[in-house]
Amino acid sequence: MAAGKADLLRGTLDMLILKTLSLQQMHGLGISRRIEQITGGVFQVQPGSLFPALHRLEQEGWIKGAWGESENNRRAKYYQLTAAGRRRLGEEKRNWAQVVLAITKVMEAT
Amino acid sequence: MPAFRRIISTFRSLFRKEELDRDLDEELSSYLDLLAEEKIRAGTSPEQARRAARLELGGVEQVKEKVREKRVGATIDMLFQDIRYALRTLRKNAGFTVVAVLILAIGIGATTALFSTINTALLRRLPFQEPDRLVMGLKTFDGELVGPVSRVDYFDYRENSRSFEEFAALTTFTMQFTVTGGRQPELVDAGFVTWNLFRTLGVNPILGRHFLPEEEDPGGGGQILISYGFWQSHFGGDPDAVGSTLNSSVIVGVMPQGFRFLFDADVWGLVDRAGPFDTERDSHSHWVVGRLKSGVTMEQAQSDVDAISRALAEQYPESNAGKALLLTELQSFMVRDVRLSLLLLMGTTVLVLLIACGNVAGLLLARGERRLSEMAMRSALGASRPRLVRQLLTESVILTIAAGLLGITVAYLLQGVILQLLPVGELGMERPVVDSGALVFTLAVSVATGLLVAVVPAVRGASSDPAQQLRSASRASEDVRSSRLRSGLVVLQVALSVALLIGSGLLIRSFAQLSAVDLGFDPENLLTGQMQIQVSDYPTPEERNQFFTSLLEEIEALPGVVSATVINKLPIRSRWQDWSVWPVERPPQSPQEDFSAMARWVPPGYFYTMGIPLTAGRDIAATDVPGSPFVIVLSESVVQRFFQGSDPIGRMVSVADWRTFEVVGVVRDARVNTLRGAPDAAYYMSFAQMAPARAQIAVRTSVEPTTLVGPIEELLRRKDPNVLFAKVSTMASVLDDELVGFRIVILSLVLFSCVALALTAIGLYGVLAYHVSQRLNEFGVRMAMGASNGDLLGMILGRGMLLAGLGLLLGVAAAYPGTLLVQQLLFETQPLDPTAYVGAVGFLGLVAALACFLPAWRATQVNPVEVLRRE
Repeated sequence: MAAGKADLLRGTLDMLILKTLSLQQMHGLGISRRIEQITGGVFQVQPGSLFPALHRLEQEGWIKGAWGESENNRRAKYYQLTAAGRRRLGEEKRNWAQVVLAITKVMEAT
Repeated sequence: MPAFRRIISTFRSLFRKEELDRDLDEELSSYLDLLAEEKIRAGTSPEQARRAARLELGGVEQVKEKVREKRVGATIDMLFQDIRYALRTLRKNAGFTVVAVLILAIGIGATTALFSTINTALLRRLPFQEPDRLVMGLKTFDGELVGPVSRVDYFDYRENSRSFEEFAALTTFTMQFTVTGGRQPELVDAGFVTWNLFRTLGVNPILGRHFLPEEEDPGGGGQILISYGFWQSHFGGDPDAVGSTLNSSVIVGVMPQGFRFLFDADVWGLVDRAGPFDTERDSHSHWVVGRLKSGVTMEQAQSDVDAISRALAEQYPESNAGKALLLTELQSFMVRDVRLSLLLLMGTTVLVLLIACGNVAGLLLARGERRLSEMAMRSALGASRPRLVRQLLTESVILTIAAGLLGITVAYLLQGVILQLLPVGELGMERPVVDSGALVFTLAVSVATGLLVAVVPAVRGASSDPAQQLRSASRASEDVRSSRLRSGLVVLQVALSVALLIGSGLLIRSFAQLSAVDLGFDPENLLTGQMQIQVSDYPTPEERNQFFTSLLEEIEALPGVVSATVINKLPIRSRWQDWSVWPVERPPQSPQEDFSAMARWVPPGYFYTMGIPLTAGRDIAATDVPGSPFVIVLSESVVQRFFQGSDPIGRMVSVADWRTFEVVGVVRDARVNTLRGAPDAAYYMSFAQMAPARAQIAVRTSVEPTTLVGPIEELLRRKDPNVLFAKVSTMASVLDDELVGFRIVILSLVLFSCVALALTAIGLYGVLAYHVSQRLNEFGVRMAMGASNGDLLGMILGRGMLLAGLGLLLGVAAAYPGTLLVQQLLFETQPLDPTAYVGAVGFLGLVAALACFLPAWRATQVNPVEVLRRE
């Protein structure tokens, strides 16, 4: 995988996780299933990318993990957005909107 | 993220690593459970679901490793882990570790020892205030560097330049004076300086004061500063010395201990515009040194003095046309004579270290091959490629730091050897020590070496495909690429070594030539010294002659003395005093025709005592005294110049527009001036006809010359206690001192060449031994097929000698341009001296053959049955 593409995906993955968690707190598998579901299976988040990303976001202080019970009474680590994470999501949204706008302009130029 | 949170995270990950790991474990297993549950709900059987979940997760360990690498402080943690792992691995391979550490310790130790010697002797900052701002001014003629500056010009530069805080000058020589009135007469060296020299250098007297500007004015002089050593020896360190008089000069201050600038001097007097020497613009006998104003660059100062030079050339065309002042840094001026030797030694040590690196890199490569499966295993377990490279680099840096620590010990030992061989301390230099500077140097070299030797093996080791490596765990023969790499390393080592050996050979040859050079006189068993009588005690020439004649007779009567003589300047010990000479009937028509030779005056028997053969005519005789005709003995070069073919005896020559002399004899040329120069043209007048009060004495002995110092001093005390007899040394040690600098270079070079040779032999041996061990199976098969011991021996030897041969070719090719660089250091030796080349190649070839023979012989000891059974 080329480095540039990996970077892009990584940045996007952070944003997608933050967005997912902004609706409700969720465990790892939940996050990955939700992203899969919403994107119609275009993004499949592998554990090898998911867990390092979660870890990094937690270290940055944007999300916070806590052990809880799943619907079926299984122990699972649930992540929720912190205040800092909410701010971060706002920034990411704005950046993303700019990028999309810019790229769209380029692609639609005749 | 706020800084404190990052710090907390870092500590958290470092110290609560286990907790974090446990948490991660649990999270992953819960993920697995949830995943399996999902699949069961979708209708899969529980066992199937577990299996599928695990497959979907991929390698648990790899995921964990990836997460760990993301942790803050992961780098530090991994470093600790790498170090722990490296120490464990190195301990497990004790043999390898010991060999590698020893080799590197030798390389690093040699480098450190030399670095600290060079650092102390040559590189240390000058002991003056802000030495970077000190510049030296040298006279040039039409752009060509000539040297000292005219004092009259100096005063013009001082008054008109704007770039200097201070601008000072001092004479290029010291004068010797006898100081009486103490317990015994003393000979002192006096330097003459402008009032501001010490202020320019930024060195203050420890007692008393500097000279004052008005003391420099004509008629204002009579003040002197004295050295610390002279203050101790003459005044016993008494503070009242300041203010007392010495030969009618007032002592105004004492300079600090160890202060020295360009020459050793006991006292410093003042020069001024009017005197005492060289009042002409065209006589150049002063060094000038200036302190740049802060912020003024060398270029600005240069253009400043250039403007003054142009103005002077316009104003005084006869003396100053084409003359200019070139500014150079003081430091580079002071090391100008040793720079080449210094660079040579630096280059040599770097080569030695490179050879040592080559050995260890070879070892690491060989070991890397055996570790390929380990690397593959770690990579399968989740280690990323950079991680593996970092691991290998950590290992080798640990190795080299250990070697560096040991190298310091080696450096101490080597320095002991260097100091024993070289009279460094006697030269008034500081004794070199392995100091903190050298330790920092060692550390830097160690780390650099570690990275250097590991780069190739590390990149190679980590780049292999793990799957393939795991499959072919046992391999029958050597990996071709890595074997080529190692062979290449050995070829380079041989090349470097042979180049070093050739260089050493050339210098050794030069040294031998220089030591065995025909001086033209016999330096063995010759005691020399300085002697002076007080003119007030012996006012007439007759009285002075009577003193020296009777003194020589009395010395010759001492037991152990063969003969004794005096002269104005002894060969090698004292230099120059070359005066023009020409046949009376043919005075020189132009300055180009002017011929000068060393002017010496000697009593009867001088040539006999010194062992200079008389080839025609007679010696100076006892009858050649004041009043009788002036006579002269010429050396052969003078005769060849003026009287080719005809008999010189009885001809008349003029010396320097001064007086005419009758030629009475001819002697062989001798090296009168310097060791390195050609034998000098010289002429000898009659000592009695010159009747000086000062002389140098030479005593030829049949016993160890120094045993006569006491008896001669005793004799002088009885004869006349006011006679000065000083600076006593044997001619052998005078010659030794001349060779000291050269010997430092040679001994270091020889020492390093030996180290290089040893390392190369080890490297060659290592490569072949490894080669043999990898091919044992093949040899077994060959022997089973009927190959004889000789065949195998020849095969291995051939391979070794091929490597050595390639290296030799490369080395010889590289040596020639290298030796041209050091040509300046050579003496009567050509850069292509066949002895040095053949000797070096032969010697290295022999050592290489020995290093190859051992592994080759081992190859023949293979038992084919055993080898084949093992297969």
